[in-house]
Amino acid sequence: MIVRGLAGIALAVGALAVLSLYRETLGVPVSVLALLTTMLFWVTQATSWNILSGYSGYFSFGQAAYVGVGAYTTAVLFGRHRLDFGLTVLIAAGLCAVLALGIGVLAFRLRSLRGEIFALLTLAVPFILAALARINGSIDGGQGIIVAVPDFPASIGLFQDFLYLVNLLVAGAAVAVAFLMARTRSGWALATIRDAEDVGEALGVATFRYKLTALVASAVIGGVGGSIFALQIGFVTVDSVFTLTVPLFVIVMSVLGGRTHWIGPVLGAVLVVLLQDRLTAADLLGWQPVILGGVLIAMVLAAPEGLYPRVRALLPASRRARPVDPSELDIRMSPVDGAETALVECDELTKNFGGVRAVAGLSLRIRAGELVGLIGPNGSGKTTLVSLLAGSVRPTGGTVRIAGRDTTGLPPHRIAHLGVARTYQIPRPFASMTVRDNVAMAIMFGREPERSLTRARRVATGHLAMVGLEKLAHAAPAALNLHQRQLLEIARALATAPAVLLLDEALAGLNPAEIDNAVEVIRRIHASGVAIVIVEHLLRVVRAVATRVVVLDRGSVLADGDPATVLADPAVVRAYLGKRSHA
Amino acid sequence: MIAVQSAVAGLLLGGLYALMAAGVSVTWGVLRIINLAHFGLILISAYLTFQFASEWGIDPILTLGLTVPVMFVAGGALQWAYDRLGVSELNSLLVSFGLLIATVQLVSNIWSADFQRMSAAVNPYATASLDTGRLVFPITTLLAFLIAIALIAGAHLALRRTFAGRALRALAEDRTIAGAFGIDHRRLGVLLGAVCGATAAVAGMLFALANALTPATAYEWFGTVFAVVILGGIGHLLGTLAAGLFVGALSGLVSVLLSPAAAPFVLFSAIVLALLVRPRGLFVRAVR
Repeated sequence: MIVRGLAGIALAVGALAVLSLYRETLGVPVSVLALLTTMLFWVTQATSWNILSGYSGYFSFGQAAYVGVGAYTTAVLFGRHRLDFGLTVLIAAGLCAVLALGIGVLAFRLRSLRGEIFALLTLAVPFILAALARINGSIDGGQGIIVAVPDFPASIGLFQDFLYLVNLLVAGAAVAVAFLMARTRSGWALATIRDAEDVGEALGVATFRYKLTALVASAVIGGVGGSIFALQIGFVTVDSVFTLTVPLFVIVMSVLGGRTHWIGPVLGAVLVVLLQDRLTAADLLGWQPVILGGVLIAMVLAAPEGLYPRVRALLPASRRARPVDPSELDIRMSPVDGAETALVECDELTKNFGGVRAVAGLSLRIRAGELVGLIGPNGSGKTTLVSLLAGSVRPTGGTVRIAGRDTTGLPPHRIAHLGVARTYQIPRPFASMTVRDNVAMAIMFGREPERSLTRARRVATGHLAMVGLEKLAHAAPAALNLHQRQLLEIARALATAPAVLLLDEALAGLNPAEIDNAVEVIRRIHASGVAIVIVEHLLRVVRAVATRVVVLDRGSVLADGDPATVLADPAVVRAYLGKRSHA
Repeated sequence: MIAVQSAVAGLLLGGLYALMAAGVSVTWGVLRIINLAHFGLILISAYLTFQFASEWGIDPILTLGLTVPVMFVAGGALQWAYDRLGVSELNSLLVSFGLLIATVQLVSNIWSADFQRMSAAVNPYATASLDTGRLVFPITTLLAFLIAIALIAGAHLALRRTFAGRALRALAEDRTIAGAFGIDHRRLGVLLGAVCGATAAVAGMLFALANALTPATAYEWFGTVFAVVILGGIGHLLGTLAAGLFVGALSGLVSVLLSPAAAPFVLFSAIVLALLVRPRGLFVRAVR
């Protein structure tokens, strides 16, 4: 698949190269070559933008930063100091990589970073760089820089041929990178980030690393494109490269073509540049931003997925994955050896939210093979405890150890790799993926990562069977009812091959028949050797499944022991039901 | 002395930034709509002021009688459309970016991309100034400052004290719960959008009083004003005011001490730093 795709891209590049190499024989006008050059520049830029913003959903308004850094690197070093042109392209790539690393390390480390804030942060970067170029005489100083024509082999033909071929090469490479990223683990990792980032992290996706990789790849491609853009325009000024037109164009192109597919930006770039060409011919260039703005609005509102999915729907139906034979199901469970060792150890665990003490000096041990019912009144700290164990909330004080390793302060994906999986009270599936792929993600990025998607899908079917969802494997999560979504949550968590599974109110809102079914599923999972912590309000369920009950009250353990004893404890009844009902 | 003069001048200018930012900040905070088109409304208002004053010789301040109702309706209509089309927070950024780009180009097609300024004959405020002995302030900036403060303080009080204001704050906290208590977010949203539109009219007029106009100015606001919105804390009016004054004074100081071209550099670096240190805004008390 991947090899075929790359071969296809190489073939397209080769075919397009012919237009220049045999230009005179074919009678291709130079003006067509110039138009194609512009198109290729935008294919590069839109693809660059899409690698981060389309795949991961972190919208950037800062594309001009890469174009500007690239163009100025070449303008200053080649245009002014006569360094080798090819070398300046490499330096531009390096500078953009450093810039992106800086932005990414700062921005993606923010725990409360939201997409909107990232968008505005990236908006500020070109403003800063433009001001820097303007005031710094050794960069620009407000004069602009002339970039002469570099030396190139005479056999290539005109300078326009050279420009075209270089742009073609860069665009081809950019699309190949975008294709590779989409079809490998990073593409799936970025898709989980786009759909539900912290869920992906909790399932074991190293979100920070994947985001940073995408950002750097995007920056390098954008910078190389900007670097050769300097040749194309011949005279680099602050206003010609650090302009808002760049983000406008790349956003419109990607949104138009389709953001989640590698070919979307290519399609969008071709359409937008053709539109630009027609408008220029009709002497209506002044209306272009109006039209592009309109296209952006219309697409976001009416077809946010872009044109590509619609184009594909017109093509002959693609091959569907063959249904999996249930007999080849294979579920891997990896219980931690030694039932006597404590799997989870909390010591003096404390978490304050502002002035509220959600968890107060809590100590708890959970051994392999236990099924612990975690109960307590509302606000007693049950969900906070689950989040602390899974690492999505950092403790104010105290420590958590999983299978003997201190996990306090570790990122959630590392904790997932140590064998902790959780479900969410309100199910949070990856909306753009099928039910089976939701589970396959957990297998690809979980404790025992399975690199091949095909194999991960096969294993995923087994997990779906465990919870009874195998018939819905190809459905979209949106088509599931609440019960099925909660089962999907469980299947997905299970697919990370956990040693301990944290079920946060996995039965909330179910009817009695569904509850019985869910209880059956939980028993089955427990029987396979996974320790389970179940947060549940229904004492009937707790009594039926738990081997041990822990009662929380105001952030600390009120009672701990076998279900019958604990649930009969007067203090528990008081905390849970209030004084009067005890009487 | 010149540093003090420019810092104070910047501070006064900051009032106008704050007024521009207030509309963006409140719609973002309350309605979860990041309305970049607000800058388009300000731009159109500035040009309308210019047009009415230059063509018909109306006193620029009196043009508010025309622009405020127009922008009131435009702002309300815009908000109505966002709501009807179910635009999400992130999508609002894209949709209104498209609107802004289109608006700027339309303004450019109508009024040209050249710098234009109201002539002194129709704009009696342009040349007047207040001389306190050591410091001299142009009347236009002073006026902008005072009106901006008055409007923001008034809006703040309205949000605190009036029924509609309380309803809006309830909406900002939790739209679903507010709805369950009978708060109609549609009607309130349209009203809020309309009021924000009206502030855009005032901001546009104040800008046109003191400055030569060119359509691309809207993009400069885009940067600076967004800085103010974020630094002030989304949806926090007094924070927005404080941030506007801070940003204004900072760019005033940098312009004089370094160079005017250095101002954006220092300003945006400050924003990035502030975002990283206090992502919820400089002037917002930490919750949680």
